[in-house]
Formats: sequence, structure tokens, C-alpha cells
Amino acid sequence: MKKVTYFPGCSAHGTSEEFDMTVKMVMKSLDVQMEEIPDWNCCGATSAHSLSETLAYALPLRNLVLAEKLDNATMAIPCASCYQRLKVTKVHMDDNPELARKINSTVIDEGTYKGKVAVKSMLQYCYEDIGLEAIKSKVTKSLAGMKLACYYGCLLTRPKNITHFDSPEYPMSMDHIVEALGAKATEFDYKTECCGASFSISDTEVVINLSSQILEMARESGAHAIVVACPLCQSNLDMRQPDIEKHTGKKINLPIFYFTQLMALAFGMSQKDMMFNKHIVPVEGALANIGKIEPEPEKVKKPRKAVEAESEVE
Amino acid sequence: MITLGLQEKNTLLAEVNQRSGANVLECYQCGKCVSTCPVSQYMDFPPREIIQLVKLGQRNEVYMANSTWFCLTCSACSGRCPRQIEIPAVMEAIRHLAIEENYVNDSTKVKEIRKFHEIFLDMIKRYGRNYELRMMAEFNIRTRNLFKDMHLAPKALLKGKIPLGVKPMKSAKAIRRMYQLAEKLEKKHQ
Repeated sequence: MKKVTYFPGCSAHGTSEEFDMTVKMVMKSLDVQMEEIPDWNCCGATSAHSLSETLAYALPLRNLVLAEKLDNATMAIPCASCYQRLKVTKVHMDDNPELARKINSTVIDEGTYKGKVAVKSMLQYCYEDIGLEAIKSKVTKSLAGMKLACYYGCLLTRPKNITHFDSPEYPMSMDHIVEALGAKATEFDYKTECCGASFSISDTEVVINLSSQILEMARESGAHAIVVACPLCQSNLDMRQPDIEKHTGKKINLPIFYFTQLMALAFGMSQKDMMFNKHIVPVEGALANIGKIEPEPEKVKKPRKAVEAESEVE
Repeated sequence: MITLGLQEKNTLLAEVNQRSGANVLECYQCGKCVSTCPVSQYMDFPPREIIQLVKLGQRNEVYMANSTWFCLTCSACSGRCPRQIEIPAVMEAIRHLAIEENYVNDSTKVKEIRKFHEIFLDMIKRYGRNYELRMMAEFNIRTRNLFKDMHLAPKALLKGKIPLGVKPMKSAKAIRRMYQLAEKLEKKHQ
């Protein structure tokens, strides 16, 4: 049995309850024991690093310090924003012991930061630590027939010198996971474009504009649905979709799944536990494609490889 | 107004470089960041121009621009920058310096973005965690825009997309103490 430290993040108790729920179901089935950080706090998200450099480090640091008490080598974080804040803090603290001491003084009651826990996103943990073979071995109900656009957003793979995971331009880890589940990942060029993130509330116009382009490109790629690994991407693309349809005058009707919801589905778990009823865009139409395999003419297709940022630069 | 004083020392450049850990002098103005940036059309000065203004030491223009508030920190620009300048870190350094030196951009949009961040940090100070529904309600009240997003409410609430309550931390006191100590540290820093 594998053991991993779990940092759910605030949205796990709010808008992304279904992500939290399905992560727990899937990990149990994959024989991974998750230990939640006791009395964790908010990572500060975009707001802390927008206004205060000290709080931007102090809020995540408290969680990093508490995580070290659990004695697991790795921490897995479902929310992309939490992941990014904790990872940035870890990298900067490890690089600069003096800064670490200074920030640590604001949470000294919790303990001293040693930097011994690796920080990974849930997607990265599934891809690197669990692996495609283990995922494939649990599939009892293949998703064959479903075409999915995998959307990573900005924070899971960028900046590259912080995340050290997948490609910042054309990542493939989630594509490989959904293909391990039997579905087909479409060629989707907007997979790392930003959805507008925290402007969801403070400047909705930006989110409508950016998210509408992502949704349209996913539709054009031939996908029946979009798969995400970030609560804010999910809520921007799902909850704002009716507004986007009104704004552009085009029907989109693309449900937005968390990749763990689809894992649970392919593992043959009960649909009731996946909380599809929470989705604003109904999922039934997309799920009806499972099992419907259209006879595709055999064509030779070049495998598409992840593009490395450096090779583009030079 | 942009003023050029060649005799004066460019203190802004040194401060921004020191804070951000980047070296903006590396920039050769190719503009790749501007074409990559998903929000450059909303900015007074897109990233390339902000960097040029820093090089020219134009403190007032740089601090008063809405650009740093619109930056989503998505890092698309820095990933493609041929000089590997960490542009989001530069934007952040400028924003922090402007806040510390009490420069206030009072356009409605920037005021709303800033208010959102203040309410968010307030939520954490109170509960240790973000309380989404309350945050949205407070944002509407404090920006005097009561009906914003109300059309989403029936569906989002009925479906449980946005829960009514929050599970607060047990030791929210630790967070309040962290805020006090952080404030002290930042005062000392100035």
C-alpha cells in the first residue's frame, strides 16, 4: 500500500466537492492511503500573492510545516492553484534559507520548515507515482466511444522551472490517462490557455472572453466533453457556460469533468457518488457516447509529441 | 508624462530587479510576451512596454498602470520569452512596490480587482479558509453591485455547486497571529 499526504484545499469543501469525493474513491481503489493535513489552512490563492509577499509565502508554509509531521515523502494536491502556491513556496524556501527563516517566524508555533516533503499535483501523482499500467488494470468499464479534450490550464505545468512536470506548451499526461481509461483524447490546441482564473468574480468579462475561446476550440476538436484537473477551470467553464453561450450566440453544450470522475466511472463505481448532479451543463449526452464506436477509416496518423519549450525558443 | 533624465540614477530598475529576481535589462523588446498574453488587450501598457518603462525608470507610469492588476500570473509569456525573463514576477514586484508606496489606481476595474483580493484575504483571516458564498456576497455589497451573478444563484445553489456553509479551521487563531506577524515583518522591510 502506498501512502500520501493529502491537501484538499478550500474548494474541496465548496465548488469542487465532486473532485475531492472522486479523488478519495479512486485512491482507495488504487490502494493508496491518503492522510489529510490536520487543520490545514487556505493557501492564499491569487489574492495573497497579489497583495502581500509575506502572506503569499506564510499561508502555504504553514501547510508545508504541518505536512512534514505526517512522515510521508509526497504530498498530492487536487487544486491547481493550491498546488502552485505550495510548490512556489517550497522552491523559494529551499533556495533561500534566509527567506525561509524569516517567513517561518510567522508560523513558528507550528514548527520549523525542513523541506522534506515533495509537492505534486494530483494529476502528476496519478501519472508519475501510480502510473498508467496500474490505472489501466483497474478499468472494468471502458470509456471507448468517448472523445475528450484534455484541458490543463496554466498552473499545472507552468512555470516550468517551478513545476518540473510535463510540457508547458502541449502537455500529454492527462491525455494518456484518459486513453488508459479507453477514451480518445482529441488534438486540442488550447489545452494550456488561461480560463481567466480568479477574475471569475472580479472581472467576469475577461473570463467569458477567454473561456469561450477554450470551449469553442474544444468543440472544434470534436470532443464530447472537456476533462480538467483544476477546480477553478471547472467552475469557469461549467458554471459560466450558459453566459458564454448567450454572449457568443452559439450553443456549446460541453460538460466539464474532473479526470478523477472519469477514472471512477471507468473503474465501474456508482455514478451517484460521482456527483454528476452538481454539474451545470448536463453530462448525460456526453456519457451516452460510451460504447458507441463509430467505424473510423484506418488512416496513418503521426503521433503527436509534447513540445519542449526550449526547443521552441532556440 | 514620460520624462527622461539621463543624469538621474534609475532606482526603479534596481528595485524591480531585486524584488523579482529577474533582470529586465535582458529584454530586447521582441514582443512575444504581448502576443502570448491572454489579457494584454485590457492593459494600459502590455508587458513589453511595462518592461521598457522600468528600463527608463518611469516610476509613476509603471505604478499607476492597470497592467500589473490584470496579469493572471499564467506564465505563458515567460515560458515563451527568448530571454527567459520571469515576467509575472516582474509584474508582481511592481504591484507590491506600488502598494507599499501608496500608489492607487482608482479606475473602476482595478478597484474591483483589488477589492476582491482584499475580501478574499479577509475571509482567510476570519475563517482560515475561503468561504465562497460569503465572499461573493460581500464582493457584491462592497462594490455596490448587488445583483451581479444573481442569475446563477438558483441553479448553483439548488444543485449544491456552491454550498451554503464552510468548515472553518479549528485554529483560525493561528492565522490571525500569522497576519499580525506578517504585517510587522513587512513594516520592518520598508
